[in-house]
Amino acid sequence: MSEFSRLVHIARTDFSYFFRTKWLMAILISLNVSDMLVTGLVYKGLVGFDYFRFLVPGIVVMGLFSAATDTGRRIWLALREGVVQYYMTLPVRTSGLVAAYIISGGLGGIVYSGLLLIIAFVAIPPQGILNAILLLPFLFILATGIAGLAAFFASISRVGEIYWVYAQALQVSLVTISTIFYPASTISQYLPAPIVTIAEYNPLSLAAGALRDSAFGGSALSTGVVSNLLMVSLPLAGIGALAYWIILRTIRVRGKP
Amino acid sequence: MTHSQAHDLSLYAVETISLSKRYGKTDALRELNFTVDEGEIMVILGPNGSGKTTLLMTLCTILKPSSGTAKVMGIDVVKDGTKVREVMGIAFQEARGFWRHKPSSILKFHASMFDIDPVKRQDLIEQTMKDLELWESRDKLFMHLSGGQAKRLETAKILVQRPKLAIFDEPTSQVDLRGKRKIWDKILELRKQGSTIIVATNEVREAEYLADRVTILYGGRLIVRDSIPKLKDAIAGGDVVEVGFEDPVPGKLLEGLKTLGGTFTVSPGGDQLRANVSKAEDWVPRMTSASYNMGAKISTIKITEPSLDDVFLHFTGKGLVDNQ
Repeated sequence: MSEFSRLVHIARTDFSYFFRTKWLMAILISLNVSDMLVTGLVYKGLVGFDYFRFLVPGIVVMGLFSAATDTGRRIWLALREGVVQYYMTLPVRTSGLVAAYIISGGLGGIVYSGLLLIIAFVAIPPQGILNAILLLPFLFILATGIAGLAAFFASISRVGEIYWVYAQALQVSLVTISTIFYPASTISQYLPAPIVTIAEYNPLSLAAGALRDSAFGGSALSTGVVSNLLMVSLPLAGIGALAYWIILRTIRVRGKP
Repeated sequence: MTHSQAHDLSLYAVETISLSKRYGKTDALRELNFTVDEGEIMVILGPNGSGKTTLLMTLCTILKPSSGTAKVMGIDVVKDGTKVREVMGIAFQEARGFWRHKPSSILKFHASMFDIDPVKRQDLIEQTMKDLELWESRDKLFMHLSGGQAKRLETAKILVQRPKLAIFDEPTSQVDLRGKRKIWDKILELRKQGSTIIVATNEVREAEYLADRVTILYGGRLIVRDSIPKLKDAIAGGDVVEVGFEDPVPGKLLEGLKTLGGTFTVSPGGDQLRANVSKAEDWVPRMTSASYNMGAKISTIKITEPSLDDVFLHFTGKGLVDNQ
């Protein structure tokens, strides 16, 4: 078995954990969806087909975020249960392990958001479906970055509760300050301009925007949208990879994360 | 390959030179020079905190040494960790498994990572699980296994892998007596198949059952390394010989025995002699010969060896068990 095959095998095994806790993910997403519906009802008039078209891409991206951050929870457990240390005794280089985790984290995000997209396909025109499929690799890169950040928080959390604090902080930073659920125009009514700019260039906002325009809106998938998404996702993926690498290096030096 | 042949070829299965590992202000390993010959079973004996696990973790490349070098099959663990990991396998002190996987899928994963022939893999896994009495638990998830079962699964991974260097860190802790014997026999079988084996333990019985040689670690330092008989012989007065005579021992014989070395006491009745000697196998023939010459008839001879705990006490000044 080549080293590449080994890392794919590790990624596949790690990813399989994702499906073994599927009900946890279902609960997380249903909580988010119910939050959104309540919010929609409070802002009366939002619950209509337009809001549905606005909301569904947001839910898809939220699913991607939740699934990718679940990687952090799995890594927290894997670190404490010693599975990461076990992986470190396998004939795979550290970079290979990092790649395996990146692939696994990205797959987790993409599978969940992909499932939500499939459900939403009933309301998407054929061209939109193609655009959505074309967007998946970019969403994958975004998911790897979020998963990497979550893994980093997992590594520095001594107890599980602390990990959830970090995860919530990540959610506040990336989900709340975004245009996932509210348009920039709404945010600008309540928050200062710099926050609006951050929200607009937030990678999750760009992903939700790309889905809204290209998948649900029927517009052609523009290179500008894709390159913007890539520009913000790639550094995040790089940070994620660096986070994984730091975790493994720390274990090698200190014997624990 | 014998020890001397291995030395002639300058090939050790494991070699560390001035190996040190420091965690913050704590020295877990201090300038350790340690070798294991190919094909032998080296038992590392030491209480908790002696540096056993740190040494093993360094050899299996999880830990990076603070200074010094370590080689496995001639391969540097820092410079070429991936190659080291291709030739070695470790059964951890705490069982490491995928919590939501079944034992067989954990073993399948492990076997595939080490290129075990896919045709033979299933049979090998099934047989190993049966040998270690895990077959009945094949449908349980790892997280539902008992401590002993999880520990046996940890051993099973290495038995399936059959690496050139197999490392077992306290392989029978949490395992019942019957299970211990099974694991020990499988480890001996693994050696017969060609693996070099390192076992870290603080169980004297385990060391005595398995070891070709024993290394005593204490406070991160190598205290002594040798075969068990030689370690026991190294203790002056280590062997205890109890001799029963049909009649009280004549004073002349006692004078004669004093010249043979060791110390002895005589029972109040005068017919029982208890001697502390360095080597019972040397002392007993000379004692029986002297007794025969003086017409003293011997009824019983009982020889008691010092235990490894005594050896540990001798070399470190502390008891192995007391330190746990």
